[in-house]
Amino acid sequence: MTAGRLRRLPVGRATVLLLVVAVAVVLAAGLHTGTAPPSGAAGGPTSAPALDGATLDGGRFDLTEARGEVVLVNVFASWCGPCRDELPLLADTARRWSPHGLRVVGLNLRDGPEAVRTLLAETGTTGLTVLPDPDGTQAVRWGVRGVPETFVVDRDGRIVARQQGVVTRRWLDQRVAPLLEPA
Amino acid sequence: MSWRRLLGALVVAALVAAAVAGLLRSSAPARDADPVRTVTQGLRCPACQGESVADSQSPIAAAMREAVAEQLAQGRSPAEIRRWFVERYGDDVLADPPARGLSLLLWAVPALALLGAGAAAVRTLRPSRHRRPVAAAAGRARGGTAAQRVWWVSCAGVMVLVAAVALAADRLDDAQPQGRPADPVAVTLQLARDLERDQRYDAAAELYREALRDRPDDGVQLRLAFALLRAGDAAGAERTVREVLARSPDSPDGLLVLGLAQRSTRPGDAPETLRRFLAVAPRHPAAPEIRRLLGA
Repeated sequence: MTAGRLRRLPVGRATVLLLVVAVAVVLAAGLHTGTAPPSGAAGGPTSAPALDGATLDGGRFDLTEARGEVVLVNVFASWCGPCRDELPLLADTARRWSPHGLRVVGLNLRDGPEAVRTLLAETGTTGLTVLPDPDGTQAVRWGVRGVPETFVVDRDGRIVARQQGVVTRRWLDQRVAPLLEPA
Repeated sequence: MSWRRLLGALVVAALVAAAVAGLLRSSAPARDADPVRTVTQGLRCPACQGESVADSQSPIAAAMREAVAEQLAQGRSPAEIRRWFVERYGDDVLADPPARGLSLLLWAVPALALLGAGAAAVRTLRPSRHRRPVAAAAGRARGGTAAQRVWWVSCAGVMVLVAAVALAADRLDDAQPQGRPADPVAVTLQLARDLERDQRYDAAAELYREALRDRPDDGVQLRLAFALLRAGDAAGAERTVREVLARSPDSPDGLLVLGLAQRSTRPGDAPETLRRFLAVAPRHPAAPEIRRLLGA
């Protein structure tokens, strides 16, 4: 009886049933992966890419020479409004935590030197180490998606945290402070 | 072979041929393709919604184009470059990410639908071997004929659709260059104008200089001079505008900027230059203001 019913199950209905189940599985899978953290460079600790070059004040910066220090790399630009709001906090963080082994470096994305100098003067952050990246290729090497974006590089040269968008004092306290030498 | 079967075979052959033609046309590389554009079209701009790196005007997409150009110049293959980007941005950076795991179902569903439709078609079109009693036969035959008509109409519809896509693909290829916005100089100029609107004249001047390095143009040079003047660099504005006036001595905007700059650098010469400006362009939008300045 059951076998007979199965044999007579119309092909059209069977197809519709199969399609509905398949679409449901695809939708469920899409919803599941939609909430998952992004893959690739945004995952766990990864080795920091190279970061070197002439700084805005004529010096040199090389990330490999900063091993043993915690480095906060902030990607910013003078044409980015939120970056302007964020810079004073970063400069203040550099002042407070540099005695405990922190270096703050601004990677200046696709900008002009005069525009950056004006921005630093206006925001009272002229002491910040700024590495110009006029064509943006250093930022791309770091997998930057937009400005501002901030990376925390630990003493072993690994990226242990990143933030797309503006960082807050709370975020810095949570992600950077534990890596520093105690006072 | 009956004429119906022959027709069926012809329809299927036409469908397959049109589908293959459409596939080949859509997957063939564009003619005279710029290698940087070819690679960047396959990358998704991480800062935008649904735009490729080739088409996006965002600064990060411009930086990614630079990175692609740099790597192509170093002799890296497009596949290597794509891998390099995936290492940094994840699979999401690819416009056409590889189908893995459950996403394979997205490919499987259409295939299943096709198989199901094919099975239904075979069932509808195949003459029944053991028909039921004659009483029901007339009604079933009517139903069968209607189903067959629906099937043939659907077939013709699909065939027309596939043929239309196959033919339109060629025209779409031709239309592509019109929608090519990735002119870095135009992007730089737009950015500079935005900065001027925000009264950030130093930054705007820097971008105008950058645009001039790539594409010398008197109009841009005049904008640079204006930006320098507004940034308070009258000497720089005068130097810049004199280069334009050397080429076009009667440029109204040139004379205007020069006259305004001279009010800081050489106040004695400014009135004469501004009078020349008024003589050349009495209806210039700035003319009333200049008359007021001269009258004062």
